[in-house]
Amino acid sequence: MGKIMILNGSPRAPKSNSKRYAKIFADYMTMECDYVELTSKNHSDICSKIGEYTDVLIVFPLYADALPVGLLDFFKTLEANPPLASKPVISIFVNCGFLEYTQNEVAVMMIKLFCQQNNYKVGSIFMLGSGEAILDTPFRFMVTMAIKRLSKSVVNKSYKEFHLSMPLTKRLFILASNVYWTNYGKKNGIDKKQMQTMEIEGQL
Amino acid sequence: MNLIMSDRDINIVENRNTKYIDLSKLKINNCIGCFGCWTKTPGKCVIRDDAVKVYPYIAKSDKVLYVSRVKYGGYDSVFKTMVERAIPVQQAFIRIHNGETHHFQRNVKEKDATIIAYGNISDGEKKVFESLISRNAQNMNFKSYKILFIEDNMVETEVKKILEQWEK
Repeated sequence: MGKIMILNGSPRAPKSNSKRYAKIFADYMTMECDYVELTSKNHSDICSKIGEYTDVLIVFPLYADALPVGLLDFFKTLEANPPLASKPVISIFVNCGFLEYTQNEVAVMMIKLFCQQNNYKVGSIFMLGSGEAILDTPFRFMVTMAIKRLSKSVVNKSYKEFHLSMPLTKRLFILASNVYWTNYGKKNGIDKKQMQTMEIEGQL
Repeated sequence: MNLIMSDRDINIVENRNTKYIDLSKLKINNCIGCFGCWTKTPGKCVIRDDAVKVYPYIAKSDKVLYVSRVKYGGYDSVFKTMVERAIPVQQAFIRIHNGETHHFQRNVKEKDATIIAYGNISDGEKKVFESLISRNAQNMNFKSYKILFIEDNMVETEVKKILEQWEK
């Protein structure tokens, strides 16, 4: 039986959606499983332990069309400090706030390049669109079921690609996201008009 | 206005129309994903470091030259850190743009962008980088873009060539 590390590469790991996705994955995981949050200070520590695992699932949000810079830095550290024994299979779970899961493709390509350059096998890949809000919608069950399949694919070593988004038209998605973000602003005491300001650093 | 934003020092002289920013000399922290610049202090990052002086120039430039080392087919850390910190120029709200969902921009000029991607770059990395810039074009308001893949030692020469073209 293998052993898996779930690595949360979100810059706001303790309060992230990635943490929620990781938790669902861990709930369905039948292999021994450890959850680790990436910080700016624990890259070397993770590198020293990563060789103890048969698999790693990296869970992260899309940042400016690519990997968050903290995760990029982690890969650079791992490149410089590879595990001495065997290398784990690297699976990927990436989510973006856009409707199209395909907007995650560049981030996946970057990790595949890392794996190719450093001799890691790529495992399963999950690209999620509408990942900012989907867990708090009636479509949550779709994510849960898909993550269950992801988990199974890792356990069985029958690595696969998965993708998912809210089953909404673009216009409906935009309406729903308007409500989501307006409510987000309300909690901070600002309204939609204020959020729509065209000013940047107070200048037009 | 024109903007040259680089992840390394380049020996060039700024002029009236062109702002030069060497990111390697600035103190710019990582984005923490707090959404403050969208939902708390719209258009302003809550981290008050050097990045807040940079993204207004990105917004108001209609011609940009970005210079970055390439790592795993993307921008290397110095440049990527600034790209992430530039999200105050966008709104939280989503629109349909070129058939896909993307964020609304605030007062951001459409840009003719040239990207100098330097380092020892494999064909595989070039392909990924081209895909990245194609995506960036949607999210960073590029109306046109050109990518130049070059070796480290050619960066300054290429930047000067482009600067000369701009000044013609």
